[in-house]
Amino acid sequence: MNVQVDTPPETAVLELPPEIVKLAIKDLSFFYGQKQSLFDVSVSFAANAVTALIGPSGCGKSTLLRVLNRMYSLYPGQRAQGQVILDGEDMLSSRVDVATLRARVGMVFQKPTPFPMSIFDNVAYGVKLYEKLSKADMANRVEESLRRAALWDEVKDKLKESGLSLSGGQQQRLCVARGIAVKPEVLLLDEPASALDPISTARLEETIAELKRDYTIVIVTHNMGQAARLSDHTGFMYLGKLVEFGETEQLFTNPVTTRARDYITGRFG
Amino acid sequence: MTAVAGAPRLSRRIGEGAFLTFCWVATGIAILALTAILWSLLSQGIGGLDLNIFTKSTPAPGSEGGLLNAILGSLMMCVVAMIGAVFIGVLAGTWLSEYARDSHYGKVVRFLNDVLLSAPSILVGLFVYTILVAPLKGFSGFAGSVALALLAAPVITRTTEDVLRLQPVALREASVALGAPVWRTILTVIWKAAQGGMLTGALLAFARISGETAPLLFTALNNQFLSLDLTKPTANLPVVIFNFALSAYDDWRRLAWAGALLIAATVLTVTVVARILAREPRRS
Amino acid sequence: MDHILTAVDEDLDALSYGVAAMGDLAVAQVRAAVDVFVRHDLPAAEKVVRADNAVDIQDVEIEKSAVRFIALRQPMADDLRRPIAAMKIAMQLERCGDLAKNIAKRVPRLTAAPSEAQAASIAELGRMAADRLAAVINAYRNDDAQGAYSVWLKDTDIDERHDGVVREIVSAMAADPETMGDSIHLLFIAKNLERIGDHATNVAELVHYQITGADLANRPKL
Repeated sequence: MNVQVDTPPETAVLELPPEIVKLAIKDLSFFYGQKQSLFDVSVSFAANAVTALIGPSGCGKSTLLRVLNRMYSLYPGQRAQGQVILDGEDMLSSRVDVATLRARVGMVFQKPTPFPMSIFDNVAYGVKLYEKLSKADMANRVEESLRRAALWDEVKDKLKESGLSLSGGQQQRLCVARGIAVKPEVLLLDEPASALDPISTARLEETIAELKRDYTIVIVTHNMGQAARLSDHTGFMYLGKLVEFGETEQLFTNPVTTRARDYITGRFG
Repeated sequence: MTAVAGAPRLSRRIGEGAFLTFCWVATGIAILALTAILWSLLSQGIGGLDLNIFTKSTPAPGSEGGLLNAILGSLMMCVVAMIGAVFIGVLAGTWLSEYARDSHYGKVVRFLNDVLLSAPSILVGLFVYTILVAPLKGFSGFAGSVALALLAAPVITRTTEDVLRLQPVALREASVALGAPVWRTILTVIWKAAQGGMLTGALLAFARISGETAPLLFTALNNQFLSLDLTKPTANLPVVIFNFALSAYDDWRRLAWAGALLIAATVLTVTVVARILAREPRRS
Repeated sequence: MDHILTAVDEDLDALSYGVAAMGDLAVAQVRAAVDVFVRHDLPAAEKVVRADNAVDIQDVEIEKSAVRFIALRQPMADDLRRPIAAMKIAMQLERCGDLAKNIAKRVPRLTAAPSEAQAASIAELGRMAADRLAAVINAYRNDDAQGAYSVWLKDTDIDERHDGVVREIVSAMAADPETMGDSIHLLFIAKNLERIGDHATNVAELVHYQITGADLANRPKL
């Protein structure tokens, strides 16, 4: 037996068994006008698990995330090719109503963006779009969401105060509460802790770790330690391609591709 | 090169001193001018201010009177003008910011709005005369309102667009990401976030039109008597001042100064209120 | 490819250098211990015993450097395997040093110098052990996974030779019970050399793991 390492492959994408896949991307390409920024990306996201997307700036990880809830439809020059399959149905097809998609796939952004209204109204905002709840039911829904976002105790006495009166870390958790109040199935997080201090970050990470029991979570992060701490699967992207995807433990202890290894050990990127 | 620490060289200190002095002098001149205007307004106008101003209409020369009809007329026309201007201005500004940021057509509209912003008010008055007064064969307070609206709308459009653009893109995206349609996002989130700035814009527009004289000369003309009928010539402060200030009668001149002081006080108050409101938003 | 932060490369190079140096020292100690036994050189044996200090000190240094590297550099993937492997290899080498010291300590306790035959057998066993250790240290120095693997495969050679030497010593004991005391020392010395061979195998596994991230399958030993 020759034990010497063979030349490592260019890409290595782990195929997940279909029964645990909640969301899958097939041959996705993305264009900003004429410029192509994603090249035939295929990857699956496991249900009730956290998948992290890492890679150097400009690698396309945020672009990929924003395809999952068709955020690009706001901007005329941007278009996507390929399929995003949620529970067997292609979400990119024109037959799927984009508002319905966004009710099932929620997003939390990099910069905390509380709406200029009370904390209660912030959380209730999304719910009011889809459901007609009685006052009591709405209050329950708001409380439940704030509890799951680990914010209830800090705001339960000031629900009528403006969302803007909270600290940065609290505002971000308010955005998480707002996102989960509509009971989505998938939660997309775009570098959610990059504007937060270490303690707020840790609290947010704890929240995410608990949320994964009920949601499928995809998180884009430039902080590899965060990906290592939080995720079950990690995908490494480079120049618009998915270079390596697999179990987080595998990627951070013994990555298969040279590119991934170089990025993770700080040899480039 | 000599050491970094130590007193700056003489030439540098002279330069700093000279520049500072120049700034002080320039500011001094400006303050002086403003003070002179306010002083003359106050000294001349305060004499004419009494309760009659607010209770009696403009008199014939020699008799007692006030400015009630002019004040009411100005108020009515400004309010009607503002209703129209706010409606057009906010919607146009919103469209420019939310739907037409990069479109070619939007660029043209924006440019034309900027042109209108600095249009000489007398031209606007003449325009309204041509389309409303001459064909209908009569001056009216309504035409005056139209002229004032045409002057106020570009201001509101501009300020609305500017303040809406200041809102972070992420705010819109956050609302859309929850499934809200764009129009709802604008109405419930973006307008709410920008309300301070939008109100300031409206107040500034109001301050602008409350003193406009030239357009009213061609449209509302004036009215000796108290009338609330905007379809007829309507009394208004600027034209009254114009007429009375150049007259030979003392009491008319006194009333003109009082009227000028009133306008100045109104504009000052509105501007200060706008400033205060602009500072209100965040508390974190 | 080099790390963006050159200090990381410097740290790793220093660590590797330290482990290789400790390995060279351990090999030298083994060869010296066998040599002083063969020549029955008591003063030289004393020197070998004292020299073990240096090996122990290096072990502590390597462990400190490795822990520091992990704490300050938060290494991942192969960068993490290197300090961990370095610590474990240092431990193996320190044991080899102790075994060599042990051999040297027994030399003054022999009642007589060893016979030619005995000296030759022990010398051969010693050479095999020292050569294995030197080979695996070289593989470490050159990041040579294949080299480490070859050392690992030849695990049985030294074990068989050791069994042979033990048989020789036992028959000598049976033939002449008077030499029992010395023979027992010889048995221990042979055992120590066989253990050094085992440690060399362990180091080979660690070198392979550091380079490839994979464990070698069960030992070829029966």
